[in-house]
Amino acid sequence: MIMPNIELYAANVIPKEEYAVSGHRACQGCAEILAVRLALKALGRDTILTMATGCMEIVSTPFPTTDWKLPWIHVAFENAAAVASGVDIGLKILMKKGKVKKSDINIVAIGGDGGTSDIGLQSLSGAFERYHKFIYICVDNEAYMNTGVQRSSSTPFGAMTTTSPPGKLSMGQPTWKKNMVKIAVAHNIPYVATACPSYPFDLIEKVKKAKMADGPAYLHILSVCPTGWRTASDLSIRYGRLAVESGVFPLYEVENGTYRLSLNPEPLRPVTDYFKGQGRFRHLTDEYIDKIQKRTIKEWEDLKTLCGVK
Amino acid sequence: MIEFTIDGKKVKATEGEFILPVALREGFDIPTLCHHEALGSDGRCRICVVEVKRGSRKRIVTSCLYPVADGIEVSTNAPDVMLVRKSVLELLYARCPEAEVLGHLAKKYGVENVRYSKDHDKGKCILCNICIRACAEIVGVSALGFSGKGMSKKVTTPFDEPSDTCIACGACVVACPTGHIFMKDDKGVRTIWKKKFPLAQCPECSRFHAPVEQLQYISKVTNVPLETLMVCQDCR
Repeated sequence: MIMPNIELYAANVIPKEEYAVSGHRACQGCAEILAVRLALKALGRDTILTMATGCMEIVSTPFPTTDWKLPWIHVAFENAAAVASGVDIGLKILMKKGKVKKSDINIVAIGGDGGTSDIGLQSLSGAFERYHKFIYICVDNEAYMNTGVQRSSSTPFGAMTTTSPPGKLSMGQPTWKKNMVKIAVAHNIPYVATACPSYPFDLIEKVKKAKMADGPAYLHILSVCPTGWRTASDLSIRYGRLAVESGVFPLYEVENGTYRLSLNPEPLRPVTDYFKGQGRFRHLTDEYIDKIQKRTIKEWEDLKTLCGVK
Repeated sequence: MIEFTIDGKKVKATEGEFILPVALREGFDIPTLCHHEALGSDGRCRICVVEVKRGSRKRIVTSCLYPVADGIEVSTNAPDVMLVRKSVLELLYARCPEAEVLGHLAKKYGVENVRYSKDHDKGKCILCNICIRACAEIVGVSALGFSGKGMSKKVTTPFDEPSDTCIACGACVVACPTGHIFMKDDKGVRTIWKKKFPLAQCPECSRFHAPVEQLQYISKVTNVPLETLMVCQDCR
């Protein structure tokens, strides 16, 4: 449930223990490390993390230091979900043999949008299909940020990246953002949700629900990236909210195939409110903005129909 | 510094601490519903029971309210502990069969068939007192309390009427371990504790963002002018 503006009080009831500690090398204003931090607070200490290559891996473990207070395995770009399924099976066997005490251990795979929707998609799909009990968290900052902002299949239409530069011959990213959530839903897994660190209580609640799910769970978290999006670093939380309020990134969850809207931001803000101030959308002409606006409204209406909201 | 053992492992704690926070810090698995980091212990849910051996005497105690002492031996999974924990869970589950958290715990501790008749009028409330404490200690308005005794005991606003002191902040909703409290925002009105609160409309973007009562309360506590707070965070 979304509760805007109660942070003043409710923030006091968020767990205080930190599992992603300070000292990491994330950029100023990074919403991605914030999302991971909040998610780990909700997961607690009985957690094993496997992490694909990406921003979070680069900033958190420059040798020989580490940011994690939990068992953390770095794997290659494509197999975070495959390693998580291995951890799941391994733990099952060790518990059966009595070498590990029987207990609830959360297995969490974290990947960026590249590690999820481009490179890691097949291992993720396999792990969903085999129905391992694990949580996959995709922290989506909409491009390959740590290598210098290259486009991914999660980059939104029209965005500027170094491999989709706007100019005379191009207008930025020519394709639409891949709908990873729908792909996850299509696997018939018990819990799929979208979240954003600008709505921390909603995010924590969703991670807790994913923890309780009876099989694989998928969380898609939009993480504002001031470096790659060319925004001011003090406005990350605001851009997350604007993305939700303009309908570009609606917050919803799918429990066993049933859609539910977490927050109804109607009346939607125009997408220009969200684009304004973002360097990656600066070149867009009215014609393209109009096109994006129309598509956003259509996707929002489709989602509303799925959720049964009038 | 006090030294004692939990399940055979030597642990250290400072004087005045209770067993539960120490055990959770050391990584032992003790279930709890009414203990909260920010609010402390209350000893209401009673599923955090452990066995404490002091000298030659053994006792089953609630770990959240038992102060640590030198040389005690704590067992978190002795057969007696499991028996008591199971019975408590069975009673709680019979009271609130709809609560997912209890269903999960019941499954984990092997509560298969509940011997008592199930209640269906209690919702998901296990009377853990967290919402009441959050309202009084964190928010500071004390809009909630217990009413009635025994079977009819419940958490509610005074006299079961729409409260004048409630500011509709929703801290009780976030704190509730079972998800019992109902709150809904719809078309500029927030419904909570059987009362409808108007939401403030931002003069810049005309979106509803927070209850007027809450903004008035924040304004009173922090001395920020109400006009500033009426503008939503994104337009401020």
